Amino acid sequence: MAQQNDSQTINDVRQQALVEYFSKKVGRRVFILTESFPFMFIGKIINVVDDSIELFVQTTSVPALEGKTWFVHTDAIEVFYIETGVDAKIPDLKD
Amino acid sequence: MKRVYHVVAIPIRIVLNTFGDHDPNGMMYVLKENEEKVKKLVKKNPFTPVDLVQPLFIRANEGDTVEIIFENKLPFHTGIHFQEAEYDVFQYDGANVGYNEDSTVAPNNKILYRLHVLKEGNYFFSDLGNVSSGEEGSNSNGLVGGLCVQSRFSWWTNPETGKVINSGQYADIHHPILPSFREYVWMFNDEMEVDDLTGNRPINHFSNQEEESFHGANYRYEPENRRQQLISEGVVCPNCEGEEVHHDSWVFGDPSTPILRGYVGDPAKIRLFHGGVKETHVFHYHVHQWFSDPSDLSSEIFDSQAISPQSHYTIQPLYGLGSLQGSFGDAVIHCHLYPHFVAGMWGMNRIFDTLQDGSQCYPNGVPIKALKPLPDRNPPPKPTKLKPGFPNFIPGKVGLKAPRPPLGIVGGRGLTELERHAAIENPRPGAVFTDPSPANAPIKEFNISLIEIPLIYNREGWHDPTGRMYVLDENIEDVCSGKKAPEPLVIHASANTCYKINFTNRLPHILDGDAFQLVTRTYEVGMHIHFVKFDVLVNDGANVGWNYDSSVLPGETIQYSYYSDVELKAWFFHDHLFPGTHQQHGVFGSGVVHPRFSNYLDSATGEEVDYGSQITVSNPLIPDYRDFALFVQDFTHLFDKNGKPLAPPPFPGSPDDPGLFGVNYKNEPLQFRLDKECDPAYSFSSFVKGDPVTPIFKAYEGDSIRIRLLQGAQEESHSFNVHGLKWLKERGDLNSKLDNQQHIGISESFTMEMHVPRSGDYLWTFETEEDLWNGLWGLIRAYDEKVPELIKLPDRADPLKQSKPLPECKGTKPPPAEDPTVIEVKGPHRCYDVVAFQTSIVYNSFGDHDPHAVIFALREDMQAIKDGRKKPEPLILRANVGDTVDVTLTSFLKQELFPFQDGIYPYPIVKEQAFYPPSLRISLHPQLIDYDVKTSAGETVGFNGDQTVGPGESRTYRWFVDSQVGACGLWDMADIRNHKSQGAFGAFIAEARGTEYLDPYTLKPVITGANVILRNPLLPDIREFVLIMHDGVRLLDKNNQVIFDPVDGILLAPPEVDEDLLDTYDQGSRGFNYRSERLINRYEEHPVLHDLFSSKAFGDPSTPLFESYVGDPVTIRLVTPAERRRSHTFHLHGHRWKFDTKDIFSRTESFVGFNVAGAASNLQLLGGAGAYSGFAGDFMYRSGNIRWDIEQGMWGIMRVFDELKKHLPKLDN
Repeated sequence: MAQQNDSQTINDVRQQALVEYFSKKVGRRVFILTESFPFMFIGKIINVVDDSIELFVQTTSVPALEGKTWFVHTDAIEVFYIETGVDAKIPDLKD
Repeated sequence: MKRVYHVVAIPIRIVLNTFGDHDPNGMMYVLKENEEKVKKLVKKNPFTPVDLVQPLFIRANEGDTVEIIFENKLPFHTGIHFQEAEYDVFQYDGANVGYNEDSTVAPNNKILYRLHVLKEGNYFFSDLGNVSSGEEGSNSNGLVGGLCVQSRFSWWTNPETGKVINSGQYADIHHPILPSFREYVWMFNDEMEVDDLTGNRPINHFSNQEEESFHGANYRYEPENRRQQLISEGVVCPNCEGEEVHHDSWVFGDPSTPILRGYVGDPAKIRLFHGGVKETHVFHYHVHQWFSDPSDLSSEIFDSQAISPQSHYTIQPLYGLGSLQGSFGDAVIHCHLYPHFVAGMWGMNRIFDTLQDGSQCYPNGVPIKALKPLPDRNPPPKPTKLKPGFPNFIPGKVGLKAPRPPLGIVGGRGLTELERHAAIENPRPGAVFTDPSPANAPIKEFNISLIEIPLIYNREGWHDPTGRMYVLDENIEDVCSGKKAPEPLVIHASANTCYKINFTNRLPHILDGDAFQLVTRTYEVGMHIHFVKFDVLVNDGANVGWNYDSSVLPGETIQYSYYSDVELKAWFFHDHLFPGTHQQHGVFGSGVVHPRFSNYLDSATGEEVDYGSQITVSNPLIPDYRDFALFVQDFTHLFDKNGKPLAPPPFPGSPDDPGLFGVNYKNEPLQFRLDKECDPAYSFSSFVKGDPVTPIFKAYEGDSIRIRLLQGAQEESHSFNVHGLKWLKERGDLNSKLDNQQHIGISESFTMEMHVPRSGDYLWTFETEEDLWNGLWGLIRAYDEKVPELIKLPDRADPLKQSKPLPECKGTKPPPAEDPTVIEVKGPHRCYDVVAFQTSIVYNSFGDHDPHAVIFALREDMQAIKDGRKKPEPLILRANVGDTVDVTLTSFLKQELFPFQDGIYPYPIVKEQAFYPPSLRISLHPQLIDYDVKTSAGETVGFNGDQTVGPGESRTYRWFVDSQVGACGLWDMADIRNHKSQGAFGAFIAEARGTEYLDPYTLKPVITGANVILRNPLLPDIREFVLIMHDGVRLLDKNNQVIFDPVDGILLAPPEVDEDLLDTYDQGSRGFNYRSERLINRYEEHPVLHDLFSSKAFGDPSTPLFESYVGDPVTIRLVTPAERRRSHTFHLHGHRWKFDTKDIFSRTESFVGFNVAGAASNLQLLGGAGAYSGFAGDFMYRSGNIRWDIEQGMWGIMRVFDELKKHLPKLDN
């Protein structure tokens, strides 16, 4: 878990924690809600590049944006859930 | 920047079409530079439309000061009143109001108006010197116009030449940073005087009766009657037949009405104005959708939008011309009210796919005018011999009907060579020249037919013997054999669906004649769709302009293809070939586009379904919900069980308001709901007469529900209300205001999303008196325990097991509702003691009065009102957020004080009047605030207990103010015929927590009143003015003679007023807050038209006079609890407010449209009294309906002082 030191703001810590957490989950499926368009992503974490998450997007609110790789900045993430195999499975959604 | 226009008001002959129909007494505003030119052209072309004869459309930029030098060359005082702008009302109002200077202009005089245009948008202007609604009036004869205000630094050019222009309906707007766009101005006009070539009123060639009134746009109309005449006289296409043929350019060439031209993908704005005087129209634009508020990305998406007189919007089609799919061809634009469409209120958006430099011709040899490409877009390809572009690749023959599309009709033709060159790579049925669907979109196939079948509307046997409806092919047998009850077809699919529709015409060739209509050959039909994406050329289900005729003959099947790109509300479909003839028989349906990944379940069995007006929807990502579709209908041709026509028109085929009403092919008229004692108070009770046959939507307590509201037919406004529930006005926007009423016109579609907080029966209504009387109501039934006929929502907990039997109809009075006050109150508690009694109300100083009014008042005021010491005013109650409010109602109604013991009012009337004696019971129903419908809805509904009170009885309702909703209507629901239009209404205002209410003159706390100061520790002091707009009032004059408004109130009335002009829902007097300043009274005293609003001439009006100081924060609470179906526009001079007070991104407006029963708005004046610029003077508030509201007294004054007055303490801010 990221610890706050004197030169870091709480936002730095939050960002660092997110980066660390997502880095550990590369290869897993994730569900993300963002405040701005397209609002929802379901996909596989490919990589974490600096403070952005590289995702292979399986499902969003708009079909035209699916089946592609997207970068989501950690600041844009409002809510997320990463499938670990232990808790609930993120549904496979098909039209 | 200062911008100056010299405008002249001139008399002008307005030729409305190429058939020579004209208004000989037309009037128009014109730029001085065009005055002589237009006069000469009109003199030279007495029977041909002249381009320069169009409403004046001028432009300015946001932030400009606009100076108008106005010169009057009409023989009476005129002026220009600008909406939306800020200006010194004392000098530049374009009217003569209150104690302002007269800013109308005498004949042959001039005046200067100086305006500040602060915000981009539409600024409607019109004359207020002569507000007569008759043929002598200025507005109906054309004295209206529009100022289009652009973003700062814009300029505008002629789309044909590229040169800078000063005025005109078409312009290309350019900006140094923003994209250029096409600007089209579309102004509805109605009720204009029209003569034909011979100088007589046009005659309908079919019925030999006088044609219906004028309905057009930009001073033009193209009536079906005229075009059909050419066919019947053998001038064109002698074997052509049908309603839709008259939109076919292959037969007739292009119409005289506006054709908005552009290239595929061009950004565009349609500046839509309602310059008419009476009707609420519905603007429908094929192929395209737009945000209801262009500045708010969270606002609703529309493709049909109602518009009431003197209101306006900007229509900005999403994705530009041709929409997302880039469809090209002719997209018809029309008023969706069929009688208006038929009368000629239509035009087109012509979208070219090749460059038009002026060298091309249409198939009939008429040159295609040049069209400059927008400078920041790539020009389209030049036409070539192999690819000539639209419309020259279509294999039609001039003078004959448009060809049918290639590929679409089963067993039909393939593509010609030219078509193949114009087509997409892999054309398929329904998608030949544009493919709306992405390659991998899942396909959903439906087989749909249109059939004729008798439809029975209620238990009394009211029926339509020639009902017509869409049905899935697999259900035809069950519907025809009676196994399945007929209902409008609603199909369900998810976003990202490619629809494949196999549509078969199974109608007989002939629609039989009867009392309502003549025999009509309805030999071709189609399925025109809204909202979804499609190729307009081959898939419109229509026959428009130079497009194909995408309909089919009897027995034929056509394949259509659509795509739903995103979740949409319910998309409307209907026939476009004979809609004026048979849509009112039931030819409408809907598709609902749900969120992706949804499953659709039968609400009773849980089995998967893909159609139905009442289903359950399950989704893995969002809460599951119940989905209910409701279609309202008018012009419904019904016969009683003995075959007697109900409300037939004056002659078969007349569009004069024929027939009755329905909802999902059903109705439940109140005349059949009386108990043994004939007390109307139990009309909505299921204990007495059982459940209604109209839809009962079923849910469990706590369920989420979505209501898909549509209007299937045919001409009129309706007002949908749900009692006891509420929804966000803009569904996708959490900042939106809460509402529980929605005005609707034909083809509009709304989704209301909400949850049902408690068990009980919730009443839904179409609330206006005539609708409700004739049976437009039903229930939402929420169970608290498991019932066999309803599955639970899959993501919710199991309902409790059934522990008690469900209530049953026993034909007896409902039991009294439980007492809600036994529960202890937590938090602030406010109690009101309210009485209902009869009294006389004097509506104005001229002695117009209602001697038989029924009113609500505080008990402490009753004696003073009865003694005449206190003037009756509508009851206005207030409470703060967090308050629990106990309202105790006591009835003092007396049988002998009702004027008509059988409840049949000789005037104003409703259709199908019947015995409905006055109830001595009464109730008080509030909008929007929270309560348990089983105890405190103020109505006796379904299997809820009795909540009305009889003479001498009292009952307490308990309401919770859970949200700062502001204005809510209050009204009686015990007897909608004998109480409400007689005055049994008021308002409830939900204020901010911690607010005190003070008298504005004494500063002492008050309990009620329309004019108060709101004092709150966290807010500035605010003046609150409550206006209750109402109509349908039966008034007597000072000699106790009935006033037959609106006719009795018409200024400059012709010797004989055509009674047919009046629909039932126009009848009665009208005003604000039990007052009406009818102009005819003033005119009889001082017959000077332009002085009629002047307080110098007459003193102040009887309607509420609201006083304030410049800059005072002001909130106007506007409610319309009663009563008729005609919708009124509200306008306050010189001020604007946010359309949605809760939403900072909302557009600003100076009008509120659609004030019909149930409407409620909160207007927080931007900049406070006097607006941002701080102008003092008399600001008129009024209706926007010249016909028939302003004359009839719907106006008043908000007075803004710039100096301290002794009688009015200033606010403590």
